[in-house]
This record gives sequence, structure tokens and C-alpha cells, in this order.
Amino acid sequence: MIQEIADELVQSWRNFATAFVLFVPRLVAATIIFAGGFVIAILARRSVKRLLAGLRFERLALRTGASEMLRVADMPSAELLVAKIVFWIVWIGFIVSAVDTLQFGPFQGLVEEFFRFVPRFLVALLVLAFGFLVGNFLWRATLLASVNAGLPAARLLSGTLRLLVIAITVVMALEQLGLATTVVLTAFAITFGALMLGLAIAFGLGGQDAARSLLEQHVKAKKQRETDAAPHL
Amino acid sequence: MTPVQPESTLSDAFLRQLMAVGQVDVLVGLPTLDNAATVIDVVRAIHLCFTRDCPRLRTVMINSDGGSTDGTPELIRSASFVETDMVQTSHSLRTLHRVVAPYHGLPGKLTALRTIFAAAELTQAKVLVIVDPNGPATDPARVTELITPVIGAEVEFLTPRYRRHPGDGPLVTQLVRPLVRALYGVALDEPLGAEFACSGRFASYCLEQSIWNREIGRVAIDLWLRTEAIAQNLSIGQIWRPATTNPAIRTTLREAVQQVMLSMGESLRAHDSFWLSADGLKDLRTWGHAPQVIPDPPVWDYVALAEQARHDVVEIEPLLAGVLEQPALERVLDELSNRAFHLDDELWVRIVYAFAAAAHRGSTGSEHLAAMFVPLYMWRASAFMAHTASENAATLQGRLDAVCEAFQRLKPVLVSSWSVEK
Repeated sequence: MIQEIADELVQSWRNFATAFVLFVPRLVAATIIFAGGFVIAILARRSVKRLLAGLRFERLALRTGASEMLRVADMPSAELLVAKIVFWIVWIGFIVSAVDTLQFGPFQGLVEEFFRFVPRFLVALLVLAFGFLVGNFLWRATLLASVNAGLPAARLLSGTLRLLVIAITVVMALEQLGLATTVVLTAFAITFGALMLGLAIAFGLGGQDAARSLLEQHVKAKKQRETDAAPHL
Repeated sequence: MTPVQPESTLSDAFLRQLMAVGQVDVLVGLPTLDNAATVIDVVRAIHLCFTRDCPRLRTVMINSDGGSTDGTPELIRSASFVETDMVQTSHSLRTLHRVVAPYHGLPGKLTALRTIFAAAELTQAKVLVIVDPNGPATDPARVTELITPVIGAEVEFLTPRYRRHPGDGPLVTQLVRPLVRALYGVALDEPLGAEFACSGRFASYCLEQSIWNREIGRVAIDLWLRTEAIAQNLSIGQIWRPATTNPAIRTTLREAVQQVMLSMGESLRAHDSFWLSADGLKDLRTWGHAPQVIPDPPVWDYVALAEQARHDVVEIEPLLAGVLEQPALERVLDELSNRAFHLDDELWVRIVYAFAAAAHRGSTGSEHLAAMFVPLYMWRASAFMAHTASENAATLQGRLDAVCEAFQRLKPVLVSSWSVEK
């Protein structure tokens, strides 16, 4: 009995020693991948930053209004943001590789998953960036056009439009990432539909007189605002 | 701004007419659109000028009509008693031209001018004169006085100068005149005038430039021609002319301010290598005699203008934050919150320069910037009107001079921000 216990203990120790001997090189390799990945990610970040500076990316961001948007959102400059994204993608790639090297059961296949996710993530980022740009442009254009036309609540109108565009963009980005697609789409459709229906009912049935009065006021205000330019020239 | 297709390809019939005319010394261009009320007197004055005042010169009048529906081309034909002295053509107006009225009141003017400039080059004209179909050239002497200084090689570009009340034309006196004076260093009075005379050489040079193919040229051509003449170091002169207004086409103030801002932006971009290094203020020789009588002061509803401006500036405050520096924006908002209408010269100049720098930076589209500028101009104009309502013409003129001085004094602000952006 005692012999059997001793044999089991020896066997366990041998298994542990074998596993440990097998694990240590993998741990060392993972550490090297982790540390090396960090250095490579930093180098990638620097290179991207230099490349973007050479391509005058910041100027492009200024022209498109992206810089202004980032400033308002208290985020770093466009160049720095892109460089940071590159850094994290590269480093996370190495971290995933390092974890995969350790061959832990639950993390098996992580690398494949990651490399399948990266393109979707990049597309989602692009969709978000484009959506923010379009939203920003529409906000500015609508605000100016509404103010020039003398429409009431110009800020509300333009702000709502921007919010709508950004909301659509976020939903599209989440769909691209495959995150809770059904829930997000359903929630968006219900909210948007309810909002529009509510507005239509409120304006069409409950507020006919208010709508007429609003339009009359607008036409009157518009006429008053159409000052003749001739005396100014 | 999108490029536009060249519209001034000369028709075969027009070319044949020009070939029949041959070389000329003086070409008078008359762009028209529904000018039946005044054009007959103008055409007769041009022909009398040709026959009476320029008998030894080879002359021709080119009329480019934008599709008048009031019989203007027929009137011009009937008023032209020497057929070889007159060539008629037409320039088509696109839908866009008809929808948006340009501040100068002549849709299709760019195309008309291009046709006339091309005709001047083909006929090797020594002098090109553009006459306003609304007058004041209803007297032959008014046409001759435009030709004489250029044909005598005393000047290469002659531009009108109007006797106005100092309170009149605030868009010119508060913005265009002081800005052109300060930046280009030339004491030009009316950078937006409709008429001018120039040498054939300058007309040929202008034809080679890209302005004709660009949408912005529709509204910017008058200012561009003058600033281009300055930037090319041409000898420039001014001539006293009676002021005219175009009663047919009414542009709203908002449209006019936007168009003028876009024109200014175009000129500043085109000539930055010139004005960044221009210094001082060069006086220009003026032909003719200044009318002694100062016109009556204009009557303004500056309270309504100020209220519109106040409302609009508050609405677009988030947009202005991207153009104006925070202290300047805060000062503007402070002024707006006071019941008294006020915007001092220095703050006004800083606002104008901030918009010019923003247009150069390109972070916001030029059209949007121009639209954002409208309420600020309205506030400044109403503040100036309110402040000077009870002042006499001499005091008011002093204030206009002070505005010009402020633009000159603060020019380094624009130069430094422009250079940094570049």
C-alpha cells in the first residue's frame, strides 16, 4: 500500500518535472515573444508616426475636420491616434502569440481568432472614423444652413442629425465586430422607429396649429432676414 | 470649388466677325443681361466716343449678352449706326447662374468677360475697356475718359473710384477696401467696381490664368482682376466715376457677404507670395475730378441687423470656436451680450484675419467659413452704423481711415499665422 502511494508520488513528481521541463522553454519563448513584441510595437508606432508626418497626415486630418473632432473629444492628435492603434494591434498580436506558445487549453486557437478579428476591427474603426467625419460635416452644414435660413432651433436640428449619423455608424461598427448584433440592431430599429413615429404623430396630429404657426413665423422671419445687399456694396 | 467647363469657346460666326474687324486699338466690352432700360444710351455713348473722340483709332465694341428677354440685343443693334464697329455674341447661362445671383448683379459675367478678353487678344487690342451697361457711360466723355489714360500708356489698369457718403457700402469700407489696402499695400478705393480699362497685354496675360475655369471665378472675377494687376506690379490708376446700382438683380446681404469672403479668400491664396512681403501703402494717381457734392447718408435699420447677428452668432458659437481664438470669441460674446452695439476696430480686424488664416489652413471648407462670417460682419456693420449714426461725413471718414490703419497695423498677425500654416 505504502509502496503504491510512493510510486504514485514519484510518478506525479516525474509528470510534474516532465511538464515543467516542457513548460519552461515555452514560458521563456512566450516571455521573449512578449518583450520582443513590445519593442517591435514601439518601433512600429514610431515608424508609423514618422511616415504619417512625412505624408502630412495631420494636415489631411485638419482639412477633413477630424483633428477638430478629436480635440473636442479630448483625444490625441490624428497622427498619434493612428500610431497608438498600430502599437496596440501589433503588441496585442504578440501577446496573443505568446499566450498561444504556452499551449494552455482554454486559449488554444487564440492566434487564429485574433487574426480573423483584426481586419474586422480595422474596418469597424474606418466605419467609425468615416461616420464621425460625415456626422461632423452634416452638423456644420445643417447648423449654418438653418441659421442662414432663420429656422428655429438650428442647434437642436443639427445636433440631432449628427447624433443620428453617429448612432447609425456605431451600430454599423458593432455589426462589423459581430458584437451583440441582433440586440443592437433591434434596439436601434425600435428606438429610431419609435422616435420618428412619435414625432410624426406629435407634429401631424397634435401640433397642426403649432406647425402652421411655426411655418408662418419662419416665412415672415425669412423675408425680414433677406436684407438687400446693394446698400452694403 | 469644382472646376467648370470652359464656356467661352468662341463660335465660328463670332470668329468670322472678329476676322472681319481685324486688328484694333481699342476694344470696348459690354456684357449685358436685361439692360434695356439703360443700354441704348450706353451704346450710343460708346459709338459717339469712337467717332467723335477716337477718330484715328481702330475701335470695336463687343457685346456679350447672357440671354436677355427684354430685347437688349435688338436695342444694341438698332443703336449701332456703324455696323463694323460692333460685334455681338451671347454667352449661355447655366441653371446655377440663374438661381444664385452674384453680388455684382450680372450672372454669367465671368463667361462674358472671358469672351471679351479672348476677342481682345484675337484683335490684338491695345486697350480693353469694360463698360457697365447700367451706366454711368451714357455720355461719350465717360467712355473716352476710360480709354485715354491707357491708350496714352500712362497707366496699365484703370479702375473706378466713386464719390460715396462714408456711411455707404459698409461691406467695402469695413472689409474689402481696408483688407486690400493693408495686404497689397495699394490705396485702392473700390476693389469690387464693375468697370475698368486695361492694356491688351494684361488681358492676354489674364486669359492664360486658371480663374476662368473655376466656379469661384463667377463671383471673384472683379476682385481677382484688380488684385492680379497689383500682384503683377502693373501701373494702376483710379478714375472718378458716378456710382451706379443694378436695379434688376437683387442679392441678399448674406449671399453677398459670402461671395465677397470667397472672393477675398481666392485672391489671398492666389497672391500670397506678393502680399506676404508687400509693405507700406502706395497712393494711386486719380484721373478726373472728385464730385463736390457728397451724396446723402444712407438710412439703416441697424437694430434689426444687430438682432439677427446676435441670434446667429450665439447659434453658431461652437463653430466659431474652431476659427477664433478663445479670448477673441469671448470678447465677441461679451459684446453681443451688451445691449449697446459695439465691436472695436482691433477685434474686428483680428476676426477678419482669423477667418483668412482659417481659410488658408483649410480645416473648414471655404463656403462654411464664409457662411460663419456673415453674422460677424452684420454685427460689425450694425455696430459701426449705430456708433456713427449722428456723426458728420468728415468724422465718419476719419473712422474709416482708422479701420484701414488697424488692418495695416495688425497685418503681421495674419502674416505670421499664414506663414506658420504654410
